[in-house]
Amino acid sequence: MAFIEIQSLFKRFKDVVAINRIEFEVNQGEMLTLLGPSGCGKTTTLRCIAGLEKPDEGDIVIDGKPMLSQGFVPPSKRGIGMVFQNYAVWPHMKVFNNIVYGLKLQKVPRQSIREKAQKVLELVGLEGLEDRYPAQLSGGQQQRVALARALVTNPKVLLLDEPLSNLDAKLREELRFEIKSLVRRMGITSVYVTHDQAEAMVISDRIAVMDSGNVVQIGTPENIYEKPANKFVADFIGTTNFIPGEIIRVAADTHTAVMRTEFNEELHCHTSDLTATVSGAKVNASIRPEDVEVFSQPPENPENLLKGTIAHKAYLGNFLYFFVNVDGTMIRVQVSHQLPQEEGEEIYLLLNPQKCMILF
Amino acid sequence: MSRGSISLAALLWLVIAFLVLYPLSILIIESFKIAATGGWGIGNYLEFFQDAYYLKTFLNTLYLSTLVLVTTTVFGIPLAYILARYRHLGKTIFTALILLPIVLPAFAGVFAFIIFFGKYGTVNLLLMDIGLTEQPINFIYGLHGLVFIQALHMLPFIVLGLSAGFTNIDPSFEEAAEVEGASGFRRFFTITLPLCTPSYLAGAVLVFLWPFTDWLTPLILGQVDFLPSVSYINISYHFTDVHRKYMGIVAVVVSSVVCISLFLLARWWVEKKKYTGLSKGTTSEGRVIEPSAWVKSGAYVYMIFIAILVLLIPIVLGLAAFSRRWVFEPFPTYWTLENFRLILLESPGLIKNSFLYSGIALVFGIAFGLPVAYLIVRTRVPGRDALDFVITLMLAFPGIAIGVSYLLAFWKGIPLAQYWIIMPIALFARRLPYFLRMAHSSYLQLDPSLEEASEVSGAGKVRTFFNISLPLLLKGVLVGVVMFFIMAFQEISTAVFLYKGGWETLPIGIYLNWHRGMEFGIAAAMAFLMIVITFILLLIISRIGGGVLKAAWGAGEN
Ligand SMILES: Nc1ncnc2c1ncn2[C@@H]1O[C@H](COP(=O)(O)OP(=O)(O)O)[C@@H](O)[C@H]1O
Ligand SMILES: [Mg+2]
Repeated sequence: MAFIEIQSLFKRFKDVVAINRIEFEVNQGEMLTLLGPSGCGKTTTLRCIAGLEKPDEGDIVIDGKPMLSQGFVPPSKRGIGMVFQNYAVWPHMKVFNNIVYGLKLQKVPRQSIREKAQKVLELVGLEGLEDRYPAQLSGGQQQRVALARALVTNPKVLLLDEPLSNLDAKLREELRFEIKSLVRRMGITSVYVTHDQAEAMVISDRIAVMDSGNVVQIGTPENIYEKPANKFVADFIGTTNFIPGEIIRVAADTHTAVMRTEFNEELHCHTSDLTATVSGAKVNASIRPEDVEVFSQPPENPENLLKGTIAHKAYLGNFLYFFVNVDGTMIRVQVSHQLPQEEGEEIYLLLNPQKCMILF
Repeated sequence: MSRGSISLAALLWLVIAFLVLYPLSILIIESFKIAATGGWGIGNYLEFFQDAYYLKTFLNTLYLSTLVLVTTTVFGIPLAYILARYRHLGKTIFTALILLPIVLPAFAGVFAFIIFFGKYGTVNLLLMDIGLTEQPINFIYGLHGLVFIQALHMLPFIVLGLSAGFTNIDPSFEEAAEVEGASGFRRFFTITLPLCTPSYLAGAVLVFLWPFTDWLTPLILGQVDFLPSVSYINISYHFTDVHRKYMGIVAVVVSSVVCISLFLLARWWVEKKKYTGLSKGTTSEGRVIEPSAWVKSGAYVYMIFIAILVLLIPIVLGLAAFSRRWVFEPFPTYWTLENFRLILLESPGLIKNSFLYSGIALVFGIAFGLPVAYLIVRTRVPGRDALDFVITLMLAFPGIAIGVSYLLAFWKGIPLAQYWIIMPIALFARRLPYFLRMAHSSYLQLDPSLEEASEVSGAGKVRTFFNISLPLLLKGVLVGVVMFFIMAFQEISTAVFLYKGGWETLPIGIYLNWHRGMEFGIAAAMAFLMIVITFILLLIISRIGGGVLKAAWGAGEN
């Protein structure tokens, strides 16, 4: 059951269209991530949900209640908690006062305020710091204050705008898991914004990938990684190889197609878009580095077999990384076993037909 | 660190010692002299704090300061908010008008408002003409008038500080409060305003100190029981009564101590509470909003109201300047250029003196201010912080303290005060901190690698300064220069103690013509002339500095 519904939301700033009639839903208790490169409209979408920005068209329904179409509901009346990218922890208030600000406004009795604050401080691991000023805290601790402040009022919806982007890499990884388990335990419906795909994979129940103001794909992390809807998604989530070519045969019943590459080899690929996959169409086949097998000698069954020269070879601890030159097209390959070939020597690549995808 | 910068530092300290430390120590020493016995002691101070009259004066001044601060704050907060946050037409012009009093001579306001709001001033005459009132209403004579005039004069400092605050605080602080459920006034008073306190305080302390400095306004309004007026009367009018003179000096010292302490207190507090380091990613425009039509109209009415009050000053003085015998009539009826003819023909010396003294003070200011800025920003000379500190402290000194101490220090012994050069020197000493701050901040913005590149190419430090630093600093420095000139041009509280026959400047001429001779046509013409000159200078600044707002920079901002 959808808890938040975004209905053809449109927002423009002067002549820049920030979000272009986007639609998606967030289920009760789910963590949905808006993922996309900088400037694609993630923050704008989140701010529209918060009520900090008024969209030009469309509606937002939270828990069955429209936020726009039946009169604008201001942020203070939406029952949301929000964590800002720069924390926005008020520097003139002590940690405790920062956290209980919203509770005081709700006229919660003083005793209850103390208890709730204590609980949330424990939850985020800030016990004993309630009398500090924000300037006396590290970035990570300020981040926790911001989180505590957003959670303490027990909001219906939690919004997080790149909450970890100002922290160093190690802390960022720790906090990812912390936030995820915390939010899951409290069962709050949340929308998380990030441009970091690894973060999105770890933290989300579902991901909505955005590209220049549009939502291009929504799905679970696995789903999006395995079955990217288009070239942009495949490229943005993880690493992939694009091999340009032309469709020569399509088998609609099995969702497969055969493509002739620019270097004149035939590749058997999976395709999901049967209307666009027609003979003669110029397309790209996408294959991830870990879905390519590597051989010193050509194996028995030669389907999707390519021959190339190793341009670079890098040892990355638990796996090997190759850049293989196939007739001018560079293909990245990742293997987990040793291989005697060195740079400049020949090698055979087997592209798994199940994982080779036609994308547009 | 080079030997050159050490000798430079030594030289600058010598100047400071001679022009600041020496006179001020003489001032303090004099305050301990006992007239009756010819000896020394704390008797004067004991008397000051035991005598009902002096004590009352002291408390009066504190009271007045509080009233002025409260008034400017209450009126300044909405004004600053409107200017900083609302998207409206004529932003530049309103900002300029509201900040205008900074560059208008303080006494110009007094004279204009007496003519307009006085017992038989324009407003009262009009009210009686249409029969609304029988008796004239006392708009201006008394504490309320004093508060009104001083508050209007100091309003820009509050507005400048606060609007900078409103513009610069990170919008997400307020958005976070909004999300937490705080709307409107609640958010403003719990988040926005507290976050602006540092920038507010910087202006507020100058506002609070003004009644400890301004002796002229109370005197003209017939309210003499305030510290600076008492000092002025005791020292200037009772030169023969030595005891009263000493008591006047004590009053000056007490004022200075109050001013300095408050100034330091505010500085310390602001340092402690600096929030700016915490905000990241502010848009330069801040949080500009489009208010509803009602709010917007209200904002316009309010801005226009304040702007009219400010504009009354040049308008009324203009009317008075171009007329004669403007008494018992709401508006002048006899128009003439006679006032200007009298000024130009009979006392052209005043104009000449004003330009000469301010000009020389300016040359001193540049010759001293630029090297000091260089030392403070670019070198590690020991004592450079102390140098900065002493000069900044002078910002808080009442002008009257500098005037009186110069009179005491440079009369016998070092008889500088017997020559006219004392006038520009005093102007220079009084306005130095303002210039220094300007030079200082432009120096901070100058990338040191530009200078280093020149040194690497083989130019010496002095050559580098003239070839690289000065041209790049010029814009900032020029604005500082013109501002310095404007302030020196208007200076009266220092100069009034030091001038002798033939050394009168325009402000002194205005004061003498008005207060002693009741020749207010001439006084108004002189004031009008000063406003015109100031305007021309301001236009020059806004050409160089880009924008009147920047030009009329407040002394308070960092
Ligand atoms: N207040 C604003 N004024 C003008 N343009 C804006 C504003 N906020 C966002 N934009 C523009 O809208 C687009 C989307 O911005 P944003 O939602 O912040 O992207 P993201 O958070 O994905 O990086 C960008 O092109 C940005 O420049
Ligand atoms: Mg963003």
